[in-house]
Amino acid sequence: MTPLDELLLFSGLTLVLLLLLGRFSYAGKVATVFYGGQLLFLAKMADRIVDGSIVTFSLQVELFGQQMSWRFDALSWFFAVITLGAGLLSSWYASGEWGERFRRRGGNLWLLHVALAANVFSMLILLGSGDLLALFIGWELVSWASFLLMTVAGGRAIQAAMRYITYAMSGAMAILAGIVLLWSHAGGLQYGQIIDVIPQLSQPQVWWLVALFGAGFAVKMGLLPFHLWQAAAYAETPGPGAAFFGAISARMGLYAFILVLVQLIGLARLSELTIPFTFLDMRDLWAWIAVLTIILPTYIALRQNDARYLLAWHGIGQGGYMLLGLVMGDALGSAGGLLHVFNYATNQAVLFFAVFAVMFRTGTADLNKLGGLITRMPISFFAMLVGIIGLAGLPPMNGFVSKWFVYRSLMIEGEPLLFLGAVIGTLGTILSVYKLIHNTFLGQLRVEHVEVREVPWSMVAPMIILMLLIIATGVAPGLVLDWVALVQSAVGLPVVENTLGGVELASGSLDMLWVVGVLFAGFGIGALLFYSGGRTRQVHQLDNYAGGHFLTAETRYHYSDNFYAGLMHLIKPWYRGSFVWLESTLGSLLEIAASLMQRLYGTLHPSLYLLVTVVATLTWVLL
Amino acid sequence: MSIQTLLMELVLMPLVAFVVGLFMVLMLRRIGAKLQRRVGPPMMQPLYDIVKLYSKKTQISHGWMHDIGIIMAVGGYVAAETLLPVPGMDGIADKGGLVTLVYMMMVPSLGLALGVGQCANPNGSIGIARALTSMLAYDVPFVIVVFGVAWYFGTTNLVDIIAIQQAGGVAGWGAITMPLLAIAGLFALQGMLGKQPFEIYIAPAEIATGPMVEMSGKYLGGLFVMQCFQLYTAGVLYVSLFLGGGENWLFFLIKVFAVVAIPMTVAFLFPRYKTEQMIRLMWKWPVMIGLLGLAFVMH
Repeated sequence: MTPLDELLLFSGLTLVLLLLLGRFSYAGKVATVFYGGQLLFLAKMADRIVDGSIVTFSLQVELFGQQMSWRFDALSWFFAVITLGAGLLSSWYASGEWGERFRRRGGNLWLLHVALAANVFSMLILLGSGDLLALFIGWELVSWASFLLMTVAGGRAIQAAMRYITYAMSGAMAILAGIVLLWSHAGGLQYGQIIDVIPQLSQPQVWWLVALFGAGFAVKMGLLPFHLWQAAAYAETPGPGAAFFGAISARMGLYAFILVLVQLIGLARLSELTIPFTFLDMRDLWAWIAVLTIILPTYIALRQNDARYLLAWHGIGQGGYMLLGLVMGDALGSAGGLLHVFNYATNQAVLFFAVFAVMFRTGTADLNKLGGLITRMPISFFAMLVGIIGLAGLPPMNGFVSKWFVYRSLMIEGEPLLFLGAVIGTLGTILSVYKLIHNTFLGQLRVEHVEVREVPWSMVAPMIILMLLIIATGVAPGLVLDWVALVQSAVGLPVVENTLGGVELASGSLDMLWVVGVLFAGFGIGALLFYSGGRTRQVHQLDNYAGGHFLTAETRYHYSDNFYAGLMHLIKPWYRGSFVWLESTLGSLLEIAASLMQRLYGTLHPSLYLLVTVVATLTWVLL
Repeated sequence: MSIQTLLMELVLMPLVAFVVGLFMVLMLRRIGAKLQRRVGPPMMQPLYDIVKLYSKKTQISHGWMHDIGIIMAVGGYVAAETLLPVPGMDGIADKGGLVTLVYMMMVPSLGLALGVGQCANPNGSIGIARALTSMLAYDVPFVIVVFGVAWYFGTTNLVDIIAIQQAGGVAGWGAITMPLLAIAGLFALQGMLGKQPFEIYIAPAEIATGPMVEMSGKYLGGLFVMQCFQLYTAGVLYVSLFLGGGENWLFFLIKVFAVVAIPMTVAFLFPRYKTEQMIRLMWKWPVMIGLLGLAFVMH
C-alpha cells in the first residue's frame, strides 16, 4: 500500500464511520481523532514530497476507454495539509458544547459531521486527480459535498445552496466543454498528452480552453463576475462548516486553476493570447479580474452588519490576492499567492471561530446588537485580534508576509495600477475588520450580556492553536515558504529562495525574525514607559465623558451603526448592485425562454412535434 | 556590522527620534504662537508636559485593552524608527525596507484604535472611524508615491535609496528627479500628520477631541510621545525619499525640520474639511499629480 492508498482509505473510513456513528454524542471527538489520523498519513508522505517524487494511488479505473488515476504531488500535498488542518480544527470546535447546543436547538449534527467528512474526502480525491477525467469527477464530488454542507442549516441556507449549485453546475459544464475540446485534439485526457498537444493548438483554440476552464474554476473561487453566490452560502453554514468553507473550500478552484492553466497550459502561453481591441493579454486580464475581486467584495464587506457575512465577503476578496500573486508568475509573486492560501486559511478559520463563539454565547452576529464583550470573552477577543491583524495584512502576523510578497512582485514587475488596487483592498480590509472587532468586543457592554462567559475549552482550544500558528508563521514564514518552494518547482514556476525569516533580495529583503523581534522589543519599551507612570484606577464603562450628562444602563452609548458615515457619504452612490442586476436579468431571460418553450410544447399541437421528432430520429438512425 | 553595534543602534535610533520629536512639537507650538502673535512655550515645555502627564495622581483606565493600546501606539513607533536609516545608523533598515515600514507605521494607529475602542465613548469611536477613513484617503496617494520611488531607484531598501540620491548630489535628490511625486507626497504628509485642514478626526468642538476624549494622565502622555515619533517618522521618511537623506546630522536635521515645518505652517492657515471633502480632495489632486509623476518616472 502506498501512503496515498492509506490516506484515501482512511479518509473514506472516516466518512463511513461518521455515517454510522454520527448520531452519538462522541462522534465529534471520533471525527477529530480520525482527521488527526489522516494528517499523520499525509505527514508520512512528506519525505517523498520533499524529494520531489509523486505518490501514486494503487487503484486505477478505466471509464469509457479512459484510464483514470490518482496521485499526490507537492501541489496536492500543500492544499491537502490545509484541508485536513481545517477539517481537524472545525470538527474539534464542534466536538464539545457547540455540537451539543446545536443538536439541542434542533440542528442535524449527524448531517454536519457527515457533510464535513464528505467534503474532506472529496477534496482529497480532487487534489489527487491524475488526469482530467478524474479531475472532473473530483470537481463534481466537491461541488455536491459543498452543497450538502451548505444545506445543513435549512431556511435561508437552502436558498444560498441552490444558488451555489446553479453556479457550480454552470461552471462544471464550462469545464466539461473544455475537457471535450482538449480530448478532441489530444485523443486522451492524461496530463502528459495534454502538455504535448497544447503547443500545437492555434491561438483561438487555446483562447477557448482558457475561457472555458477559467470560467469554471472562477465560479468556485468566487472571482468577479461569479462572486454573488459565495458570501451567503458560506455565512449561513453553521459554525465549524463556515470556518471550513472559509478556510479552504473556494481554494479548490485555485488548485484546479494552477493545475490546468499554470501547469498544463502555462502562464507563458497565456501572455501570448491578446485580448481584441485592448492592449491587454490574457494574463493581464486575469490579474485585473483578481484586483477587481480584491476591491469590490472588500468594500461590500465594509457595509455588512452581520459578522458572518462580513467575513465571507472578505474571503472572496482575499482570494484575489492569491490569484494576483500567482498570475504575476515570478518567484516572489507566485510564492506570495500560494503562501496566502495557507495564511488566509488560518486567519479566516480563527475569525469564524471567534464570531461563532460570540454567537454561541449571545445568540447573534448582528454587529449592531453586540459590544463590550472583551471583558467577558478575552480569549475570543484575542483570537479575533490576531485574526484581523492577519487578514488586514499588518505585521507581525502571517498575512503581512504573503501580501508583502505580492506587493514586492508587483513593484518589481512594474505594475503600479495593480499594486494600487491591491493596497486599496488592504486599506478597505483594515477599515472593515476594525468595525468588526469594535462593534463586537469593544465599546459598551450591553445589559443583556453582563452574564456572558468565555466559551468552553473545546471551542477555545482550536482558536489558540490557530493563533499560535498565525504568529509562528508570521515570525518564521520560512516554515511554510519551504513547502511553497516545493509547490513552485512541482508546477514549473520559478522557485523562491527563501530564508527562515522571509526572503533576501538585492532590491530589498524581508526578515520577519528581526522585524517582529524589534516590534515586540518596542512593545516592551512602550510597556516599561507605561507602567513607570502613575498607578491606574479602572472605572465603570458608564463613568465616561458624556457632555455633562449622566449615563445610565438605559442609555445606548455605543457607536456602531453606519460606522464609516463620512466615507459612505462619498462612496455610497458607487454601490450600484450591477452584478445583482445582471444576475437577475439573466434569470428573468431564462424564465421567459422557458415559458415560451413550454407554450410551444404545451399548447400547440404536441402530437405534431412528437411525429416530427420520431421521423427525424428514425431518419438519422437509418442514414 | 557586529551585533553590539547593531544593538546599540537599535537603542539609539528610537531615543534620538524621541528627542528630535520633542523639538518638533516645540516647533509646532512656536509656529502656532508666531502666527497668532503669542510668545509661545519655553524650550523644555514638551518634556515637562510628558513628565507631568506620566506622574499624575489620577490615572483612569477603561480596561486592559486601553492600556495595551497605548503600549502598542508607542511601541509600534519605537520599532518603526529602527527601520528608518539616519546618518551613521542603518539599524535593521535592510531587513524590512520601505513596504514594511509603511505597514509598520499602521501598527501604532491600530493600537490606538483598539485602545480608544475600549474606552467605550462614542466620541472616541467616531474619531477612530474618521481617522481610519482619512488613512484610506491619504494612503492612496502615498502608496503611489512609494511605488514611484521604489521603481525609480529599483529597490525598497531605504539605505540604498538614500545612497543613490547622495551619489548624485543635489541633482540626484528625489525631489529634483521626481518633482510631481514629491508634491503628491507632501500632500499625503499633511493628511498623515493629522493636521488642519485634515484633522476632522480630532474635531475638538464637535466630538470632544475624538480619540483623546477618554485619555488622561499617562494615556495622554503616551499619545504625546506617539506624536513626537509620528512627526519625526513622517519627516525623516520624506527626507529619505526625496531630499537625499542625511549626509551628516546637521544637514539631516535642517532638512527634517524644514519638511515638518511645511505642514505645520499650512495647518494654522486653514479651517477643517469634512470627512468626505477630505477623501474627495485626497483622491483627486494628489492622486492625479502622483499618477502623472509615476507616468514620467516609468517612461
